[in-house]
Amino acid sequence: MATSARYHSHYDVIIVGGSFSGAACAKRLVDSGYSTLILEHKKLPRHKPCSGIVSPRGHRFLLENFGPVPDEAVHSPKTCRGVVFHYPSMLSMPMDFHYGPTLHLNRKYSDHWALLQSGADVHERTHLESVEDKGTSVEVIARTEGEHIRYRARYVMGADGPNSTVVRSVYPGYEKTIPWFKVKQYFHERIDCPLDDDYFHFWVHPDLGFYTWSHLRNEGQIVGVGYGAGDDLNKRHERVVSYLEEKHGVRLKPTEKREGSINNFGLSLINRYVFGKGNIIITGQAAGFLNIIAEGMSCALHSGAIAGEATVDALRYNNSIQDTYRKMISSEVKRCSDQWNPFKIIFGNPHEADFMAALKRHSRSDRRRIIRDIWSFLRPWGKYGWGRQIVTQAVFRRLIDAYAPSRWL
Amino acid sequence: MSYKTDGSKHIGKDSLIGIPRQQTNPSRWSGKGWDAFVGELGSSGIDVVTEPSKLSLYRSDAGGVATGSCHGVVIARSSEMIADIMRAAQKHRIPVTVKGGGLTTEGESVAFGGLQLDMRGMSKVINIDREDLTVRTEAGIYWHSLAESLRRYGMDYLSAPLNMTSSVGGTLGVGGIDVNSPRLGCSADQAVALKVVTPRGDIVECSEEDNRDLFELVLLGYGQFGIITEATLRIRPFTPITMHYFYYSSLREAMEDLKMLTREDAADYLGILTMLDRAINLLVAFDSDEREKMFFSNWRNKIRGHGEMGFAVRTAAHYLLRPWKLREALYLLDRKRTLLPALSPSHHIASGKIVDRSVVFSRAVWRFWGGRQMVIPDLATSEDKFVDAILKGNEVCKKYFDHYTLYCVGIKLHGKLPRYELSCIPPDAQDFAYGCEFEPMLEGKTYSRDYLQSFKNEIYDIGVEMGTSYYRFGGMMKGYIRRVFGDELVDRYLKMKEKADPSMILNRDVIF
Ligand SMILES: Cc1cc2nc3c(=O)[nH]c(=O)nc-3n(C[C@H](O)[C@H](O)[C@@H](O)COP(=O)(O)OP(=O)(O)OC[C@H]3O[C@@H](n4cnc5c(N)ncnc54)[C@H](O)[C@@H]3O)c2cc1C
Ligand SMILES: Cc1cc2nc3c(=O)[nH]c(=O)nc-3n(C[C@H](O)[C@H](O)[C@H](O)COP(=O)(O)OP(=O)(O)OC[C@H]3O[C@@H](n4cnc5c(N)ncnc54)[C@H](O)[C@@H]3O)c2cc1C
Repeated sequence: MATSARYHSHYDVIIVGGSFSGAACAKRLVDSGYSTLILEHKKLPRHKPCSGIVSPRGHRFLLENFGPVPDEAVHSPKTCRGVVFHYPSMLSMPMDFHYGPTLHLNRKYSDHWALLQSGADVHERTHLESVEDKGTSVEVIARTEGEHIRYRARYVMGADGPNSTVVRSVYPGYEKTIPWFKVKQYFHERIDCPLDDDYFHFWVHPDLGFYTWSHLRNEGQIVGVGYGAGDDLNKRHERVVSYLEEKHGVRLKPTEKREGSINNFGLSLINRYVFGKGNIIITGQAAGFLNIIAEGMSCALHSGAIAGEATVDALRYNNSIQDTYRKMISSEVKRCSDQWNPFKIIFGNPHEADFMAALKRHSRSDRRRIIRDIWSFLRPWGKYGWGRQIVTQAVFRRLIDAYAPSRWL
Repeated sequence: MSYKTDGSKHIGKDSLIGIPRQQTNPSRWSGKGWDAFVGELGSSGIDVVTEPSKLSLYRSDAGGVATGSCHGVVIARSSEMIADIMRAAQKHRIPVTVKGGGLTTEGESVAFGGLQLDMRGMSKVINIDREDLTVRTEAGIYWHSLAESLRRYGMDYLSAPLNMTSSVGGTLGVGGIDVNSPRLGCSADQAVALKVVTPRGDIVECSEEDNRDLFELVLLGYGQFGIITEATLRIRPFTPITMHYFYYSSLREAMEDLKMLTREDAADYLGILTMLDRAINLLVAFDSDEREKMFFSNWRNKIRGHGEMGFAVRTAAHYLLRPWKLREALYLLDRKRTLLPALSPSHHIASGKIVDRSVVFSRAVWRFWGGRQMVIPDLATSEDKFVDAILKGNEVCKKYFDHYTLYCVGIKLHGKLPRYELSCIPPDAQDFAYGCEFEPMLEGKTYSRDYLQSFKNEIYDIGVEMGTSYYRFGGMMKGYIRRVFGDELVDRYLKMKEKADPSMILNRDVIF
């Protein structure tokens, strides 16, 4: 099969995945004059299920690197003011983003725009099948419209998101060793919705799901649920809808319109990132960068850019790309993992909205109820055995001012 | 499909309050019109280097963080050649990025596509006039080479950056600070006359007497209004120098003494170099024995710094009482053992005096900080704001790095010169400005650009908050200039730029 494949020209770097991490990586490489190709398996512009709330840091990255964001790249409402946490005790805690509201991106166009702005060559509808490190180059086999194509590049970047083919190819069997989570968002027409439309709403509620959210988009209401893969999310969604009606007076029309995806959530909590081997490096959500409070895109952009910078460095100085990448990426690991680090949450304000300040606005007894609610929310997560790892990593972080690189793959 | 965006109509106007909305990392220029441009230069006998292996030498600057790539390089040989290039570049709308020593740290001398003009091909000294105390030189020359040429005639330049490879042209355009700037001002102020190629390709000789507008626009003009090809600079007779150090454990006290000594013109060379924020070195040096004597009789007792022995005893006592700070004490010892001797190497010393200050300060100093990456954000303030601004910057350094150095000097102003507007000289400075560089010791580590940029932004943000300027070790950038100087002033300069450079091709994306 591969031997009869069409052969494509040689690139300095091939990036797999035409999303934010890929675009950011490409931007650094193209600026530096390296021939760069992005492989994207969907037709562009492609749809992507996402709430689209980019954190201020991500918004800034887009402006500074790709220029003013075009109108097509945002949904209505164009911006989001912050996040509201709702607790079972019916307390709610609004947290405004630092520096004002941030954008509500339409990923179909924002990602495509960033890709075009990066200036890299893009082969759309081209699905990566496998990568093989040949020592001084990497052989890439992809498929487009039923035809196999072979590419060769000095380095390959896996920026292909949560269910990464590059990760599967480099670490066979890896996907069986981590837990998987499913998220689905449902689009409803509204009858009545007393929730504040300026915010993204999140329920810290153990009975609703691991990740339960709602917000306004294009005059409809999104209700989203997340749980372990294998769970019936439609049932969970029904439950959330009736909870919203009962507790918050939210009345929505029934819907069949839904979309979902499977996610490798959790790696950043426990400092278990996957950064690649040899001439192949992995970045963005594929590497494990994902976070709470609108941080998936921001850390995809930043980690992608760092992957690009490390590659430029390796190409310029003939350095080991792995060494350089792992050194450079440690700042992003800190930013991302700090968001789950209990010491940092209490003392360090690691998020882009001030959780502790919002908490302090409540009375002492309400604060106690909120902490109790958070604790009960965390309990179902216990089965993943992350608690001890989070605490150990947090202690390390205090002692050596870093998250131990020895835990990265 | 393509996307059209109008930068003035940003989405979410109320987002990112206080953060500039600018594309600070420009897109690589598309290459449109390049072949026709190269063809036209070819017919004028100008060779454009396009071999990838040669272009790769131009990928970054001393900062080592921003990387770009030009379409081709021309090694500058004459003003006429540069004029031809600029005329063709205007016509074909080809970006031209000028590089002297390339010691910028924010990518200002890096080309993101287009033509890179390497000024180092113009590095001859044209004439040394010992009567008039001036030198005429091509602008691509390194200060260090200029110093060597002048020494043959017993002469020296006035002030220049402390490094081996910044060029005269690159420095006159950004400022230039030396430890004698408290007395002599910034390097740009020693220029008497310039030969400039304008962005449209005219060759103009300018000075305070002739074409003064252009002269003032080009000095401290960030390379926006013309390419300096030759410069006449003031010079002085060479003198060996005597140096003394005084040590402080309080940064505030050291800065206050620096201000006092600067105001009172107590020394010929003056600066602060910190090792830790409780081990601060005030450097004082003299061109003559008389000035040295005067200092010891008039000012030594007024400053609070200790001699080496006094400071050593106090510091030892401090650390003996704080054994948990052993690592800090060891670091300090190591600095004393390695850095201080490097500042007075025996082969550059004769009869106890330093005979080669440009080499000693530049090599010795930078050997300890530089690496593949180099971050040197800075602030330039008025006298009133100096101490507070630097103390704030010191806190930022601590947050990001284990070890760092602050290098502070005063800068004498020569009246209210037009060139100081929209420059490294803060608008509220009277008589003197004060500058401080914040130099982290990268200690062989490799950092992400985002980490280093976040550090720099926090320093620059102090400038915005306090209304200072940046003396541009890579400070005055596109992302900050409007916040610091306001739209009205920047737009006035932008209009002048658009008039002088209709295709907006010369040194794009540096400040506009
Ligand atoms: C290790 C190190 C030490 C330093 N020490 C000092 C110091 O002690 N004092 C100090 O003041 N600065 C210092 N700097 C900053 C540096 O010296 C200044 O940025 C400046 O002097 C650079 O000169 P250059 O020739 O390297 O200019 P470049 O970096 O080549 O260019 C600077 C800018 O001017 C433009 N340009 C270059 N040549 C010309 C020309 N002929 N005509 C018009 N525009 C031109 C470029 O496009 C660019 O925008 C230091 C920097 C480093 C990295
Ligand atoms: C429902 C939902 C809501 C979210 N809400 C937010 C939010 O509000 N804010 C936020 O910041 N983050 C949010 N996230 C997270 C965010 O979407 C991701 O973290 C981010 O998009 C990751 O970017 P990435 O570039 O790493 O990968 P992805 O965006 O996942 O992109 C990977 C790309 O690779 C392509 N690809 C995959 N496999 C192959 C292959 N074999 N060959 C070729 N191409 C391939 C895919 O088509 C895709 O374009 C949300 C995620 C979900 C699922």
